[in-house]
Amino acid sequence: MKFLFEIIENIKMAFDSTIASPLRSFLASLGVMVGISIVILMGWLLDGLDNSFQKTFEIIGADMIYIDKWDWTGGKSWKFYRNRKNITLDQAIKLKDMHKSAELVIPNFNQWGRNVTYNKETIEGISVVGAPYENQFTPAGDLILGRYYSEYEDNQGSLVVVIGYNIYKALFPNGDAIGKNIKMGGRNYEIIGVVRKRGTFIFDFIDNQVFIPLNTFIKNYGKRVRSVNIGIKAGSEAKLDLVRDESIGLMRSIRNVNPNDENDFSINETKVFEQSIASIRKIIWIAGIGLTMLSFVVGIIGIMNIMFVSVTERTKEIGIRKSMGAKKRSIWSQFLFESSALTFGGALISIAVCSGIIYIAKIVVVKFFPDMADVAEFFPPYLSPKLVIIASVVSIILGVFAGIIPAIRASNLDPVNALRSD
Amino acid sequence: MSENISDNMLNNVVIDIEHISKIYEMGNQQVFALRDVSLKIFENEYVALMGPSGSGKSTLMNILGCLDTPTDGKYYFKDNNVSEMTDNDLAEIRNKEIGFVFQTFNLLPRANALKNVELPLVYSGMSPTKREELAEQTLINVGLGDRMDHRPNELSGGQRQRVAIARALVTNPAIILADEPTGNLDTKTGEEIMALFGNLWKNGNTIILVTHEEDIAQHAKRIIRLRDGLIESDEINPNFKI
Repeated sequence: MKFLFEIIENIKMAFDSTIASPLRSFLASLGVMVGISIVILMGWLLDGLDNSFQKTFEIIGADMIYIDKWDWTGGKSWKFYRNRKNITLDQAIKLKDMHKSAELVIPNFNQWGRNVTYNKETIEGISVVGAPYENQFTPAGDLILGRYYSEYEDNQGSLVVVIGYNIYKALFPNGDAIGKNIKMGGRNYEIIGVVRKRGTFIFDFIDNQVFIPLNTFIKNYGKRVRSVNIGIKAGSEAKLDLVRDESIGLMRSIRNVNPNDENDFSINETKVFEQSIASIRKIIWIAGIGLTMLSFVVGIIGIMNIMFVSVTERTKEIGIRKSMGAKKRSIWSQFLFESSALTFGGALISIAVCSGIIYIAKIVVVKFFPDMADVAEFFPPYLSPKLVIIASVVSIILGVFAGIIPAIRASNLDPVNALRSD
Repeated sequence: MSENISDNMLNNVVIDIEHISKIYEMGNQQVFALRDVSLKIFENEYVALMGPSGSGKSTLMNILGCLDTPTDGKYYFKDNNVSEMTDNDLAEIRNKEIGFVFQTFNLLPRANALKNVELPLVYSGMSPTKREELAEQTLINVGLGDRMDHRPNELSGGQRQRVAIARALVTNPAIILADEPTGNLDTKTGEEIMALFGNLWKNGNTIILVTHEEDIAQHAKRIIRLRDGLIESDEINPNFKI
């Protein structure tokens, strides 16, 4: 309790003397401010990336697994995957019939790099997905306009299409897409629905898809030469392990995989992205940490220097305090509080400046780069409390680091000599 | 010398130094600042330590004030063996038992009078409200009730020294150690300060005055003269008057 009163007094004194010479305090903590700013902006950037990745997981479906000849991670060579036997529609349908734990099993075909034409305008690089009507119960069934095709239309092989958001935006800037006909592979399809925008800068292609009924696809594109992709909806993330195990077991038996052989198909799910996200984070951290460390070293030297100056200037004061009964701990804590006040004050300025920067950056990006607006959405317009706390704590630790040697020097001063100095 | 101070024998001994010496190492030379000095100071004494510069009076004052420790000999402060104390224990004695008054006032320039007087109480761990109360009262007692929020540079020399005296008094110490308290003051102001010390003594304080000025020393009841690190004389001041 007694020391507490003294500590409160020390904190007051620390802020008083920091404010007493504002320019000097500001310059001394400039290095720390730069470092803290880098930490804050880096953290903010990572927060934004995390948000967009999180969003991506939702798009793909956190409770979805996809069985495919191809592997999302591309772990082995392209040839390796190409040489796998195609997954046939019959196999997919067998899996669908036998699967017990999955909520939905949706075989679908993909045709990459197609063109879509409307009113003489053509968009290239579209992927045509042939999927049964149940596809509407996956994340791809979230529509902003119109409806999904029905079981009847699916069975009939109707020429109807649900288009992705990018295609909608490009061909129908006025929003009047429903009921219009677009041309794909020489046939006209009636647009009956538009999927909500799902992609981000990392998953942009997902909005370049069009969905047609599975039977329509088979009629118009054929089924023999293509491998089927099977989307399996577990229903919840908790059921994912169970559904994955059953899927693998069934697929192995359907495709007659020898018990000693590896799977001749891939199980793709959002988990595989976590690794690539981790490596992106790592790159940002390493780049950031390098810069941060550099400015922290500069910053600590700056603070330490000013603290040594401060101890020298105030030798007399230290002598007075000691003669009044200040113990060593009183003196060193006073100087530690002072150096921490410098760095903490620097952190507060950094937080304010960075808040301004990100606020303005968002406005500027949205205004001058409308294409980036959807990316900007993932980056919060303010600093998270977590970042503010981290910045504050880090700044105080830096202050203690920078102040410890000057503080010990001050506390070890001989009172008689200190009183004699001018 | 004991008969000279007999009228204080009824009081308790505050300071008891026995055969202390202080040796400074200057290169490979040893300089004796104090040689085998013994001295007792009783409660409510008014003592002047006199001597020319180099006599050892500053060294003796620093040792008496627990700012420094002797090379040899024993120092008992109220029966506590100071010569064997740690830095922290010495700080505690300075805080609770000793009030310093310096020639150059030694106030903190950025703090106002009140905060300066509060300073020793900060280190004794008193709560802010009690601190302020006590410091205010002490400033009123030295006649500075209307100058509490003034900084040292806004005060005259005499007022500054009064602040310093209030700071020395505020912990109610066993001794007040004044080092040339009038050295930076004009004669008139110096007399006012000496009158204040006289009042403090009358109120029961123990005062040790370090000075090289004969007329200042004449205010004390007992005068100890030092020369070359030795006590030259220690006697009751025949000119002492209340």
